[in-house]
Amino acid sequence: MAVSRLPPAALSFKQFLQRQKVLGIYRDLLRTIRKIPLESNRRYLRDWAREEFKRNKSETDQDVIRMMITQANNHLEDLRKSLSLAGC
Amino acid sequence: MAARIIARCVRSLNHRSVYFNRVNTAATLTAAPLTHGRTFSHLTNGHKSPLAQISGSSFQVFQWRAYGDLPPLTLETIHDRVLYVLKLYDKINPEKLQATSHFMKDLGLDSLDQVEIIMAMEDEFGFEIPDAEAEKLMTPQEIAQYIADKKDVYE
Repeated sequence: MAVSRLPPAALSFKQFLQRQKVLGIYRDLLRTIRKIPLESNRRYLRDWAREEFKRNKSETDQDVIRMMITQANNHLEDLRKSLSLAGC
Repeated sequence: MAARIIARCVRSLNHRSVYFNRVNTAATLTAAPLTHGRTFSHLTNGHKSPLAQISGSSFQVFQWRAYGDLPPLTLETIHDRVLYVLKLYDKINPEKLQATSHFMKDLGLDSLDQVEIIMAMEDEFGFEIPDAEAEKLMTPQEIAQYIADKKDVYE
């Protein structure tokens, strides 16, 4: 009889990896937002990013999370491209 | 011949630094802890004899060296700055904040807030903290300890 020694709230390995990915994207997003020249734009985007991530915080379906990660990556790439086009 | 060149440089430097001192004494005084006032002969170890004659003949000139740098970090200043940044964070209640308060267990923050806090620390101290190490820092004490380790601050 295989008794699991892990506490019930522990994430599975895949969930753990996904969580790390989400946090990594959040960090990359914040780092990219730092490069934006105007402070008001920076603040707006930081609040936007915070809102987006917090809103979907309680999502548990792995496929939905994967979709949201892809969306976040697209946003991040758009931001990076805009920044490089704007020259900063 | 090298001595003659050195002598010429010393004379020109002395004249320039004297002018600088007359005009900018206020500026150099404010940078007091970081400047050294020494007679030029003290700054040269190897060429004592020709320069001693030259600086002996001219009047006493102080060579001010002003270096631009941040004030030195001590464990206490790091600790104070970390707590100051945390008090400015809007999701933390400043009364409940202590050096050992855990972000998630005591202050009720989540991992996204912890990422924001570490970003704020990066901005405050001016160096990047890699992801793997950033996610382990869960109390102000740990953050201060990590920064002290990275910046070689011992006490």
